[in-house]
Amino acid sequence: MRKLAAFAIALSMVAAACGGGSPGGGGAASPTGDQSALAPGKDVKPAAKITWWHAMGGVNGEALNKIVNQFNASQSAIKVETVFQGTYDDLLSKLNTALASNAAPALVQVYDIGQAYMRDSGQVVPMQAFIDRDKFSTADFEPAVINYYKYQDKLQSMPWNASSSIFYYNKDAFKEVGLDPEKPPVTFTEITDAAKKLTKKDASGQTVRFGFGPSIYGWFFEQLMATSGALYADNGNGRDDRATKVVYNSAAGKAILDWWKAGIDGGYFYNPGIDNAGATTAFQAGKTAMYLESSAALRGNITTVAGKFQIGTGLFARPDSKPANGGNIIGGASLYIMKSRPVEEQQAAWEFVKYAMTPAIQAQWQSDTGYYAIVKSAYNEAPAKEWATKYPQFQTPVDQIRNSPQNRMTNGAVLGVFAQARARTQKMIESVLLGQATTQQALDAAAAEVNDAIDKYNKANK
Amino acid sequence: MSARAAAIGRTDTVAMRRRPLPVRKAGSYLLLAVVSVLVAFPLLLALSYSFMTESDIATFPPPVLPPHPSLDNYGKVFGTIPIGRYLLNSFVVSSAVVIGQLVTASLAAYAFSFLVFRGRQVLFFLFLSTLMIPWEATIIPNYMTIRSLGWLDTYQGLAVPFLATAFGTFLLRQSFMQIPRELWDAARIDGSTTFRFLREVVIPLSRPALGTVAIYGFLSTYNQYFWPLLITNETLMRTTQVGIAQLRFEESTRWGLVMAGVIMVAVPTLALLVLGQRQLIRGLTAGAVKG
Repeated sequence: MRKLAAFAIALSMVAAACGGGSPGGGGAASPTGDQSALAPGKDVKPAAKITWWHAMGGVNGEALNKIVNQFNASQSAIKVETVFQGTYDDLLSKLNTALASNAAPALVQVYDIGQAYMRDSGQVVPMQAFIDRDKFSTADFEPAVINYYKYQDKLQSMPWNASSSIFYYNKDAFKEVGLDPEKPPVTFTEITDAAKKLTKKDASGQTVRFGFGPSIYGWFFEQLMATSGALYADNGNGRDDRATKVVYNSAAGKAILDWWKAGIDGGYFYNPGIDNAGATTAFQAGKTAMYLESSAALRGNITTVAGKFQIGTGLFARPDSKPANGGNIIGGASLYIMKSRPVEEQQAAWEFVKYAMTPAIQAQWQSDTGYYAIVKSAYNEAPAKEWATKYPQFQTPVDQIRNSPQNRMTNGAVLGVFAQARARTQKMIESVLLGQATTQQALDAAAAEVNDAIDKYNKANK
Repeated sequence: MSARAAAIGRTDTVAMRRRPLPVRKAGSYLLLAVVSVLVAFPLLLALSYSFMTESDIATFPPPVLPPHPSLDNYGKVFGTIPIGRYLLNSFVVSSAVVIGQLVTASLAAYAFSFLVFRGRQVLFFLFLSTLMIPWEATIIPNYMTIRSLGWLDTYQGLAVPFLATAFGTFLLRQSFMQIPRELWDAARIDGSTTFRFLREVVIPLSRPALGTVAIYGFLSTYNQYFWPLLITNETLMRTTQVGIAQLRFEESTRWGLVMAGVIMVAVPTLALLVLGQRQLIRGLTAGAVKG
């Protein structure tokens, strides 16, 4: 499915290029200058109706529609309509097809790693243009979130749903084996030691509980590189200039894989495969005692295991040296205003974006979904306070992001071919864990393949 | 019915004289039962999960039968998506595609198998070569066509691109070629028109093949995901597979809910398959007797 989606994206890129769209405007404005000229004039009357494409299914989708209904009720000039477009990948494929024939909506939600791709498409009115025009203050925004979406100090999009990956553990299992349930392990060695203690075998020698069982997820590898204080791609993770190659086949990358592989070989790490849902189910079922997952999964985890065991959360894993320049990258998605729509619609989309960034709405969004509020003052609002009392574990991802030093490593990589790079990285980790390649071989092979894709992308998007 | 029972009885007694059949028969039924449970296992598990709470699903070892069966998940599916409307949409579109494919494929196959004209062979291979064009390569041009016709968010937009099928034509042509040429000659001598021969001889003799094309066309349309997602934005024009995607969350999956959705979507198709199967077998015997 993902492969198909990636293929469709590649194809539609070609179609968009043939369609004769005129890129250039978008990201090409001078990096330091004021971008207000790219936005419609302040006096443009907002359109009466705009469409917003999103990728939020289930309760998250309900929470999103609730905000839109509130917005529509709060004023009479603009009506926002939402359309669910499947997964993030599906949405991007559909967006590309629609762009080729001028059927894109005014506002779209695109996942974190689609950032470079959206910028290079030249189809976006940079959010910075509206921010500069209205002197809209982003001082109250979480720096880690805003920095992630900035390229050369300019915001292309407005951050929307934000999460970060954290460490989850089973407090009851910790007590059972004599570990301190209030002191989760943080470094590689600490996790390994705890995992050894937590691993339990039955009489026949079958492992009934593994110490640690993270899914093979490219996002975690990116996070581990960041907590190691190492770059994923060159040119400052693709933030000083467009990345020309990935550099994760470094000592830091090797240390991560060596640690992971040793745990699997020792029999105290569990390998659920490239399967996030499987890793979560294994943890909820008590088959693993510790794992890594997005903070957005916290509420689901807590409700599902209620009555079975207590869940603890801790800082994301990092090397024993705890590098001072290491920290966590945020995840999630952001909102783009599309250039192909009339200026009136762009204006209306911006009005809605401003509404969505108000502290009250941010607090409500957090307590309805489990993504965290990206506006700091939202934490003073009643729903956010209630949420904090109900789920004290939620403080972990917030603190973790606030305490991360802000630099090129922790702001995360920006790549035009990130979806592909991530998929290839997952295959790389899998090949190491299954013993099909040594760590260095696997890293080099993956890097070579991703570099090839970056090369092609850069040539096509000069 | 009674004649059939007698026939079965007769073969049984004939066979019994030769070897101790009951044991053998029991053995093969046992094997069949085991295999069918194996084959149906994922579906049965989905059914079982759809009655479980999230907390029940997340236990180790995973339970096979729901410890506390509940219909909660089904209620939630109705609360989350307009599933009835999605089912209706999928049925309308799939039925339209089946009818369209049967008409176009049988006419094309008839031309390729019975009619003699210049370049028939070349045309047929050209036709077949379209099978090699991957679906991904045509999706964007198709999208642009449908959009320029103003057919986004419509039933015709969902169905029309699939009304002709190279695979179905190929399958039917192979089946039509089994029909003895002598029948054609005889019919022509008796003054039958080309079309009448198709209607009264070819179609009745090819019911199993037509049934195959119909079922294949129905299922592949019913299971489409990307095309309906691409050309619909209106909630009420979406189809079942898009609906199931709506039951998923980006960061965590509630299996019970998804499985309830899957079961609700799968049951109508299963029922259709069972009915269709009977039709298929009847078609087979009808052909055998007449042939």
